[in-house]
Amino acid sequence: MSFSFRIRGCLIWAIILGFLKTSFCTERFPFPGEKPTGPKLHALVGASIQLNPNKRIEDGLLLIRNDSIEFVGKKPKVPEGYREWNCTGKTIYPGFIDPYLLAGPKKPALLELGHERVLDATADLSFHGLPSPNSETARKGPGFEVVGVHPQRKRAREFEGNSMDWEKLRENGFTVAHLAPTEGIFRGSGPCVLLMDGPVNERILKDEVGQVIAFDPIGKRNSPSIYPNSLMGVIAVIRQTFWETQYSLKRIAFEKRNPTGVPFFMHEGTESLLRSLPPNSSFPVWMEPGSCLMMRKAIELGEEFSLPPPILIATGQEWRRPDLSLSPEHHYVLPLVFPTPSKLPNEEDWEQISLDQLRSWDFAPSMPSLFSSKTKSLSFTTSGCDPSEFRTNLMKAIARGLPEKAALAALTTNPAKLCGIENSVGTLEKGKVANLLIAEGKTFFRENAKLHSTWIRGTPHLLRPENEPADTNKSNSSKPDAGPIAQFPGKERKPIENPETVLFKGFKLWTCEDEGILTGQDLLIQNGKILSIGKNLEGQLPEDSKIIEGKGKHLTPGIIDCHSHAMILGGVNESTLPSTAMVRIADVVNSESINLEWQLAGGVTACNLLHGSANPIGGQNAVIKLRLGSSPMNLIMKRAPSGIKFALGENVKQANWGDKYVTRFPQSRMGVKTFFENRFNAALEYDRLKQQATFEKAPFKKNLELEAILEIIRGERLIHCHSYRQDEILVFLRTMESFGVRVASLQHVLEGYKVADEIARHGAGASTFSDWWAYKFEVYDAIPYAGALMHRRGCVVSFNSDSPDHARRLNLEAAKAVKYGKLSESEAFKFVSLNPAKQLGIDSWVGSLKVGKDADLAIWSTNPLDYRTACLETWIDGKLFHSLAHTRKRSERRAEEREALIRKARAFTDGDTQSMSSSSSEERFFRHALESACDLFPHSCRTHDCSKERKGR
Amino acid sequence: MKRVLILLGAICLSPSVYCEETFVYRAKSIQLTPTQLISAGEILVRGSKIIEVGPTVSRPKGSKVIDWGSFQVYPGLISPGSSLGLAEINALRPTRDEREVGSHTAEIEAWSAINPDSELIPVARANGITHSWVIPMGGTISGISGLIRLEGWGIEEMTVRKSVALHLWWPGQGLATKFKTQSVSDKKPKALKEQDKERKRSLVELDEFFNRGEAYAKARQTKDLKVGKNPTWEAMLPFLNAEMPIVIHAEDARQITSALDWAKRRKYEIILSGAKDSWKLAERLAEEEVPVIFRHIFTAPPQSHQPHDLHFRAPGILAEAGVRVSIGLRLGAWAAANQRNLPYYAAQANAYGLSRADAIASITRNPARLLGMQDRLGTLEKGKDATFIACDGDLLDLRTQVVDMRIEGKRVSLASRHTRLRERYLNRPNPYRKQD
Repeated sequence: MSFSFRIRGCLIWAIILGFLKTSFCTERFPFPGEKPTGPKLHALVGASIQLNPNKRIEDGLLLIRNDSIEFVGKKPKVPEGYREWNCTGKTIYPGFIDPYLLAGPKKPALLELGHERVLDATADLSFHGLPSPNSETARKGPGFEVVGVHPQRKRAREFEGNSMDWEKLRENGFTVAHLAPTEGIFRGSGPCVLLMDGPVNERILKDEVGQVIAFDPIGKRNSPSIYPNSLMGVIAVIRQTFWETQYSLKRIAFEKRNPTGVPFFMHEGTESLLRSLPPNSSFPVWMEPGSCLMMRKAIELGEEFSLPPPILIATGQEWRRPDLSLSPEHHYVLPLVFPTPSKLPNEEDWEQISLDQLRSWDFAPSMPSLFSSKTKSLSFTTSGCDPSEFRTNLMKAIARGLPEKAALAALTTNPAKLCGIENSVGTLEKGKVANLLIAEGKTFFRENAKLHSTWIRGTPHLLRPENEPADTNKSNSSKPDAGPIAQFPGKERKPIENPETVLFKGFKLWTCEDEGILTGQDLLIQNGKILSIGKNLEGQLPEDSKIIEGKGKHLTPGIIDCHSHAMILGGVNESTLPSTAMVRIADVVNSESINLEWQLAGGVTACNLLHGSANPIGGQNAVIKLRLGSSPMNLIMKRAPSGIKFALGENVKQANWGDKYVTRFPQSRMGVKTFFENRFNAALEYDRLKQQATFEKAPFKKNLELEAILEIIRGERLIHCHSYRQDEILVFLRTMESFGVRVASLQHVLEGYKVADEIARHGAGASTFSDWWAYKFEVYDAIPYAGALMHRRGCVVSFNSDSPDHARRLNLEAAKAVKYGKLSESEAFKFVSLNPAKQLGIDSWVGSLKVGKDADLAIWSTNPLDYRTACLETWIDGKLFHSLAHTRKRSERRAEEREALIRKARAFTDGDTQSMSSSSSEERFFRHALESACDLFPHSCRTHDCSKERKGR
Repeated sequence: MKRVLILLGAICLSPSVYCEETFVYRAKSIQLTPTQLISAGEILVRGSKIIEVGPTVSRPKGSKVIDWGSFQVYPGLISPGSSLGLAEINALRPTRDEREVGSHTAEIEAWSAINPDSELIPVARANGITHSWVIPMGGTISGISGLIRLEGWGIEEMTVRKSVALHLWWPGQGLATKFKTQSVSDKKPKALKEQDKERKRSLVELDEFFNRGEAYAKARQTKDLKVGKNPTWEAMLPFLNAEMPIVIHAEDARQITSALDWAKRRKYEIILSGAKDSWKLAERLAEEEVPVIFRHIFTAPPQSHQPHDLHFRAPGILAEAGVRVSIGLRLGAWAAANQRNLPYYAAQANAYGLSRADAIASITRNPARLLGMQDRLGTLEKGKDATFIACDGDLLDLRTQVVDMRIEGKRVSLASRHTRLRERYLNRPNPYRKQD
C-alpha cells in the first residue's frame, strides 16, 4: 500500500466520517523493523449480514476500507484489490459493545450492597462539625470535601490499554466498551475504547461518556471509617453535592452582576458536575445503586434534581420489586451474571439455603426478558461475568423469553446509544467503524455457536483456524429449563382484603380513650376510617358490608412501636460524624423486610424507624405504617411530623467502642451538652446568613445538616432522644429549653423515673423499655417500675421494642406495666398505642379507637395482655394485612416453594452441566441481597451499643 | 416453770431437729407437681423440708399458720442455665467472670466465681426464681457447671452442688457461604469441600480427645498408677465413666445429629442445650431419651419463609414427640440480667402448643431432674425442700406478682435494687409543688 494511497484514504475517511469526534486518521508510515499490518481492504462475501437488530440480508457483501465499512448490501461483484473472505454459511453481526465495563489492575467489581459487617464505626478524626476537609482533598488539590466525591476524575487519563487483556472479550464478540470509572460515589467519567491493541490514542472512541454515581458507602473501607459509612449517608452526600453544585452556578451568575474582589472559586469538581445538572444537562448521569430498592431511590434522586433520566446499572435482583425498580423512562444496563448452585457436601446443608437465595437463582435468567419488556432499553454488560459463561448466560436468557432481536439490541444498538457512539458503531452501515463479528452458521444465538472472528477498526482478530469445521451438531446443552418456578414476592405481600365497609360486632373494644374498654358496642369502619362506635350499628349498614363477629374477642387500636430499627437498609447508623442531621432514614426504608410480616402478626401497625445512637445528632427518622407491599415511599406516614434522632451518654461518647475511639468530640457528657449548643448556635448563625443573603438577593449555599437543626429550632422537626441517666436527661432538656425547643420524646430514658416531674413539666414523652437493665453501666439503675412511675407523675409513657423480636409481642410488654406499676389494663395498653402516637405527633389519626381516626386495628383471641392471646387479624387503613390463618398458609406455601426450588437446584447440581459453571457464579448463589441481608443481622441499641459487632456474640 | 421455759427456749435455739419451727402454709391453690394442682391446699413445713402437703395437713403443736389464702403456690423456679452471679454488667469487662480462655478446660468450676452480692440475684429472685444452674463458657469444653440457690450468706452457703455436668460446645457444622463483601477484613470463605473436610476433622478430633480421656481413666484404675495426675482428665473422670451427664451445646440440626450419633456410640448420658433446631429432630430426641433445654423461644426464625411463631411453637413440638423439655434463656452475661422473665418464656411456649403442665415442668421439675436434684427440688411433695413461691395470680401471667418466697423453709426477701430505687423515687417530692 502506497503512502499516498493511505493519505488519500484518510482524507476520504475524514470526509465520510466528518461527524465522528475522534479522527481515525492517525496511522503513520511504519519504521523499519515494525511488523506490517497489511492492507485494510477486505471483502466479506456471501454471508448473512445482520445489519441491525431488525434487518438482515442474505448472501451479502461487506466491504471494509481502512477503518470503516465502505459498503454493505447486495452486490454481485467484489471490486478489485480487496482481500476476499468467503463467508458463505457465516453470519456477520455488528461488533458487541459493553456499556459498563469494570476493568483494571485492582479487579473492580460491580456494587452489590448486602450485609457487610460494620467494620469500624467511628468518625473522621478531623471533625469540625461538618463533613470535613479530609486527607483526600488535602492530598489531591481542590475539589469536593467528602471522600469519594470526585466527579472531575477522568478515567481516560489513566487509560493504559496495554495493561488490559481484551482477548477474552473479543472471543465473545465485543469490540467496544465503556470503561467505567470504578471508585468513589461521584466517580467521574470513563472513555469508550476499542478493544484492540495499539497506540492508546487510536483506541479511544470517546473520552468521556457520562458522570457515574455509585451508592457506595465508601467511608466504610477506611479504618477508622469516615463519612459516609452508611447507605443513607451516601444519599445525603449525593444530595449535598448536587445542592452545592447548583449553588455554584447561582453564585457565579450573582458575581457577574456584583463583581467582588474575592471571586468565588469554582473547582474542577463543580465544573465537571455542572455539565450534568439543569439547565445545561448535556452530560448523562449513570447511576449504580447496588440494590433493587436503591434502583427506585436512584430514579427518585434523578427526579428530585430534575436530571434527564439517569442510566441505571441493575443488579439482577429486580425480581423483588419490578414495579419499583423498573421504569419505562429509563435505560438499564444489566450484568449478564447468573448465580449457580454448588453441590453441597451433605443433604442437610441445603437447610441453610434460604428461599430468597433460591429465588435469586431461579429468577436470574428471566431478568433480561423482564427488563426488555418493562424498561426503555436494556443493555448487557459483562462486568462480573466469567467470560466462559457469557454465551451460556445469553442463551439462558433467550430460553427464558428474551427475543433474539432484543438480545442483539442489548449488545449493539442500545449500548451504542447509551454511550453516545451510535453514529460510529452499533450497526453495520456504510461509514461506520468496521467493528463486527463473524459467526459460523446461521446464527450466533444458539448453543455452541462458534465465532470465526471479531473485527475491530477493520482489523480481524481470528478466533479459530480457518479450515476447522464448525461442529454444529455436538451439543452439551442442559435440559431446557421450562421457566422459573419461584414466585414473585409481591404476589403474597399485599392486603388480604380491602372491603369498603366493615362492622366489628360484639368485640370488647379497647378504645384507649377516656371510655376505657367498652363491651356491647360495635365499631364500624368505612373507607379506611373509623366511622362510628356504638350500639346496634347493624341497622345503618350499607348492603354487602362485611361483618366480623367478635364474641369473646378483643379489638384494640393497632400497636405503635416508638423505637424500631427493623426495616432499614444499609446501616442503621451513620456513625462517623457526631452530627449527621442530614441523613434520612426515609431514603433507606426496607419495604421488603420480613419484619413487616412478623410484626403485623404481633398486631403492630405503625413504627418509628430511628437512626442509631452512635452520635449526639443522628439522622432523620421515618414513621411508617406497615402496609405490606407498598413502596418505601408509601410506607411512610406522610402526615407524621418530621423528626430526628438524638442521643446522649455512653454510645455517643464512644464509651464501649474500644480503645481506638478516644478522639472524636465529645468523649464526655460535658462535651455532649457543649456539642448540642454548638450545633444549635451554628444553625442560628446559618439562619442569620441565610436571611442576609435573601436580603441581598445573593445565592445561599444550602447545608442539609444545619437546615435540619434549624427546623428543630423552628418547631418543625421533633426530637427523639436516646437517653439514660437522670443528669444527662435534665441537662439535655434545659439545653433544648434554652433554644426554645420542646423535646418530643426521650427514648429509653431508663432513669427518667428519677426526674419524672421535670420531664412532665417540660412536656417530653418518655418511650422506655418494660424491664431491660444492666447491659451497660448507665442502665444499672433502670427499673421495671419506671414506666408506671413516670406515668403517675404526668409523663406520656410508651414501651418500645428496639428489637424485631420484641416488636412481635409488644402487647405483652404492655402487660408488664400492670405487673410492675399496677396500672389499669386500659392504661397499660396505651403504652403501646395512644401514648407512642402522641410522642410521634400522630395521635390525631392513630393510636385509639375514635371516630374519624384511621382504621388501624388488631383483633385478639383474648385479652391482649394475657400471654395466651393471639393476634388474629391486623388492619391498616381499613385493609386486612394479617390474619393468622392466612399468615400460616402463606408460610406453608413458601416452605413448599422452597422445597420445590431445592429439588430443582439439586437436580441441577447432580447433572453434569453444573461442573462447567464458574466459581464466581457459584459464590454468587450464596449471596444475600441488601433487602434480605438487613433482616439477618437485626440492630438494637441494646445489643450492639450502636457500634460494632463483637466477636462471639 | 421459769426453768422449764428457759430449757424450752434453749432447746428451741439449738439446731436440733426436734425444735425446728413448724409452719402450715394455707393457699388458694398449690401446684404440687406439673400435673397436680390442688385448690385450697396446705403445706406443712418443718425446718427446711416439706412434711406434708394436701388439701389439709396435720397441725403439730406449736405450728404457725401462714395464711396465703388468696395466693397460688408454686415450686421455686429453677433457671436451667445462666450466668447469674458470674456476670454483672455486660458492657463492663471487670464485672464479667462467665467465660474463660482455653479450649479444653474441664477443671473450670462455675460455682467458684459466684458473687453472692450481685444485684442481679435479688432481681431474679423477686420473680420466683430460687435456683440457678450456673454454666461456665468459653472453648470446646468449658468446664463444670454448678447449682446455686439464690439466697445465703456467701458462696458456700449458696452453692447447692459444685458439680452438675460437663459442658461441651459442639463444633460448628455449618458452611460459611458469605459472599465476599467490600469491607477490608472480610475474607472469602474457604471452598465448600475444604470446609466439609474441616468440620469432619473437628468431630474426629473431639472423639479422639475423649478416647484419650478414657485411656487416662483406664490407666488411673491400675493399682500401680501408671500415669501422673492431669487436672483436665481428672476433672472429666465422672463424665468419662458416664456417672454424670454431659451437656452438649448445639443449635444447628447438623450439630445436633452428629452430637446424638456421638453420644449414642460412646454411651454417654447427654443433655442438649440451646437446641435451636431441635424441633426438627423431635422424634429422634424422644426415642433416644435426650432431654432438651430450649433457649430460643424469642429468637427470630432463622429463615424468612418460616412463620413468625416458629420458635414459640418449638417446645410444643418437642413435648408432643415425647421429649423432656426445659426452657431457659440464652447463656451469657447478656441474659443474666433478664432471668426474671423465665416464666414468660415458658408462658409463650404454653400459648403456642406446649401444655400447661409441660410449661410448668419446663422451669421446675424438668430442670430439677437434669440437675439430679429431683429428690429435693422441682415439685412440692413430702420430703422435698420447702422451696416455693406465692403468687397473686397465674405464675405464667405477666400481670402476676410474686408476693412471697421460701427457700428451704426460710423466708426470703423479695426486695432488690429495683424495689429500693422505686421506694426512693416514689417518695421524691415534686420539685414544682412549692413554686406552683
